[in-house]
Amino acid sequence: MTDEGFDSPGEGVGRVLGTADATPLQFWTAVSPGSYLQLDDVVVTRRELPDREPVTIAGVVTQVRARHEGAQFDSDVFAIADGTLPAQVQEAAEITTTRVDPEFYVPPQPGAVVHRAEGDARARALHFDRMERRIPMGTGRDGVPVYLNADFLDGTRGAHVSISGISGVATKTSFATFLLYSVFRSGQLGGDAVNAKALIFNVKGEDLLFLDHPNTRLDDATRAAYARLGLVADAFPDVRVYAPPRVGDSSGTPDVSSRLTGVDSFYWTLTEFCANRLLPYVFADADDERQQYTMVVHSVAAHLARYAQPADGGVSIDGTRLGTYGDLVDHIVEQLSDDETRGDWAGSAVGLGTVNAFARRLIGSKKDLARLIRGDLATRRPHSINTAESAQVTVVDLHNLPDRAQRFVVGVTLKSEFERKEKAGTARPLLFVVLDELNKYAPREGSSPIKEVLLDIAERGRSLGVILVGAQQTASEVERRIVTNSAIRVVGRLDPAEASRPEYGFLPPAQRQRALLAKPGTMFVNQPDIPVPLCLEFPFPAWATRVSEAGAAPSQTLRSITQSADPFAVVGSGGGTADDDIPF
Amino acid sequence: MSRFFVDAWDPAYGASFEASPEGPSAQSNARVEADHELPALDWRAIGPRPGVSAPDVVLLVDGVRRIDAGVWTAEEDGASFPGLAASYAAGVVRCDLERGAAQLAGAKVERGLFTASPSATDVVAGNIRYPVHRVSGTGELAKLPAAVQGPLTALEVEVSATARTDHDLLVVDGQLRNRRHLPRTLGYIKSQHRQYLDARLTAVVIGLPPGHRSPVFRLGTAWDGWSWYLRLPVASGAPWAGIVRVECSAELAAEEAIHLADLSLVTLPRFASTPYKDPRAPQNLVPIAGLERLLRSRLGDARLLHRALTTAARTAATRAGR
Repeated sequence: MTDEGFDSPGEGVGRVLGTADATPLQFWTAVSPGSYLQLDDVVVTRRELPDREPVTIAGVVTQVRARHEGAQFDSDVFAIADGTLPAQVQEAAEITTTRVDPEFYVPPQPGAVVHRAEGDARARALHFDRMERRIPMGTGRDGVPVYLNADFLDGTRGAHVSISGISGVATKTSFATFLLYSVFRSGQLGGDAVNAKALIFNVKGEDLLFLDHPNTRLDDATRAAYARLGLVADAFPDVRVYAPPRVGDSSGTPDVSSRLTGVDSFYWTLTEFCANRLLPYVFADADDERQQYTMVVHSVAAHLARYAQPADGGVSIDGTRLGTYGDLVDHIVEQLSDDETRGDWAGSAVGLGTVNAFARRLIGSKKDLARLIRGDLATRRPHSINTAESAQVTVVDLHNLPDRAQRFVVGVTLKSEFERKEKAGTARPLLFVVLDELNKYAPREGSSPIKEVLLDIAERGRSLGVILVGAQQTASEVERRIVTNSAIRVVGRLDPAEASRPEYGFLPPAQRQRALLAKPGTMFVNQPDIPVPLCLEFPFPAWATRVSEAGAAPSQTLRSITQSADPFAVVGSGGGTADDDIPF
Repeated sequence: MSRFFVDAWDPAYGASFEASPEGPSAQSNARVEADHELPALDWRAIGPRPGVSAPDVVLLVDGVRRIDAGVWTAEEDGASFPGLAASYAAGVVRCDLERGAAQLAGAKVERGLFTASPSATDVVAGNIRYPVHRVSGTGELAKLPAAVQGPLTALEVEVSATARTDHDLLVVDGQLRNRRHLPRTLGYIKSQHRQYLDARLTAVVIGLPPGHRSPVFRLGTAWDGWSWYLRLPVASGAPWAGIVRVECSAELAAEEAIHLADLSLVTLPRFASTPYKDPRAPQNLVPIAGLERLLRSRLGDARLLHRALTTAARTAATRAGR
């Protein structure tokens, strides 16, 4: 195996130098005249040992430098350029070892020839040969594909992806969607890829609403880049987009401006709100976490679950029919203000101040949540987000929801998806959850119902087949247990102050510096079986990322919302449409 | 030589140190013909001649030497001879002024054991060999360093011949000696130990403005030849500051010597070094200083060689049964 590794190592580019310490994990190479090494180049060298097989040491270039040998003073450079002082330009490259084969940690010897690793030697140096299933992530600086070990993505040996970087230039969501595309289309996951689902929360603009539209700016160079990775440049074939209902619209049409077809609205009925105890997710604000009234929240939620009866779209509590979220809130507040009923709703040991704090918050939520929790829309109209019954990719648009409503949607959706997976009890099919601004939903400090769900996913999701692809501007502000549970860590351009935090300790100093200048499309990916993060560029999206890029809409999106219900279902039976809906 | 001992003291300790007072300290009695370029009565400073430009390629030759260890031999009869294990190197640097590139065009490193011991043999220390150079006479320690100069000059001559092209100029560090046959070659003498000219002509020399030279004169010493003084760009106003003597082969006609003198005046000043970078500024030319640094690095590490010699001496002693 070692010999195979050294049979075709590529051209010699230099020799291990002896003026700096060579260690098994890091060494410097003097670059031969007429050759060059750039950052991220893969090299290989070999150490002969007296009583055993030779050791092949492979690594990547993590720093390069050039200097004048023979110059003593800075100003000597003028004499050298003038042709009066003899000096030699010498380049040297720092190599960080990625693989020692066999695992016998001896330093390379100064003077040993260093080869540029190409072909199999390169794949071996980067551990690609040990990956049974390799998901292409992009190309290295040398233009050759780099791969992700699928074992660390699908839960076999690890799961979850954490992507960090400055908003706007770090292209976090683009990389997350490209990774999904590669997972679904590379064929490396076999049958799993066909059944796997993705749940994407769109938090900014309408960027992710066009995943199923081909990108009109796609050129041949990009197609070739996809082909090099073994992928076809195409849009996501099977996408379903959900958007919240428009404010003040009684028919519940989805609130989107640029994408006009193939968007379904999502909401929860009052019955679901009460029966599924969704009330705690109304109190998921940053300020809410430190308050005393959680006891009231749970007690009211329990009361609603026990006494609320479905009543013609809305609910009926104690004989009062409540048709909207506002009615429900008013009713609860009224009951809590009444000395006679307060004990039933909030429990007996709760102070009036706490109850009032709860009531104030609840009233405050009316404006934000009224359009999501409905009693006036048909109960049986499809309105819930359920990835199992949805398309391969489900996009939930949150971008025009207020903060409290965003938290409510994310919390409730993740909870119901996770509970569904828990009940199924099997890790397959996989569910990829893409969530940006993770620092908002799972901050380092405090606790909230959403954070509990996310922690559950991070810690148990691996065995249940729920893979969290989290993105954030600052990994240092995300709950540590979520970051540490991510097997794959990705970094785009970082803020200088952020880059110095210990969360990025996996980046060697030179890469940490480079992350400050990384251009859009460049990512550093750290995966467990390669000791050095790989720098890669992923191709421009083949799907539209904004309305101006969108090509022709796929035909299935032209169906209207009512057609997505089964027209042949028997009216009045469980799965059919409601009486007051047009059945076809 | 079966056995030898290496002095534990650092060979640099107590080695002669070159005191170089500015200006000559002794009057030479060599015959001087001063009338070839200008009549002796009419001597004056000569500036750069219009129309003369520096050659595109200037080659500079220099050598360095270092004593790696002082040794003592053990003779069969109980006597002992001192010896020096020395490394020396010569190189030529090719300054391509047109392209702006100075390169080492050739360098040779040699080592030798200099001793008068009749029984001395080559010393092999690790993969380094010190061939024996037998010194004639009694070979007392004080005279041994001078013995290194011969082989070093021979090495300098050897490397000087390489890397020559048409229309270049070869500048040799020190007197020309036996290199007079090389074409377009100047000897460059940094420090003035002897005063060749009489008081009146010397006044012209020490009155030279920077970038000017004296008229060419002919010297009749053992190594006779054409010679002239030149003042390099220098800030100090001391009489001999920045003055160098340049010489060329006596076989040249007077016109050829004058042409070389004019050439030296447009070539050498740009190589002059700056005082804060070089203790021997401005006379120690920048390419020469760079060349010496490169050559010294090629001599190898002195402590390593000293250790190798010590080990070799111990091995030799063990083999001899002590």
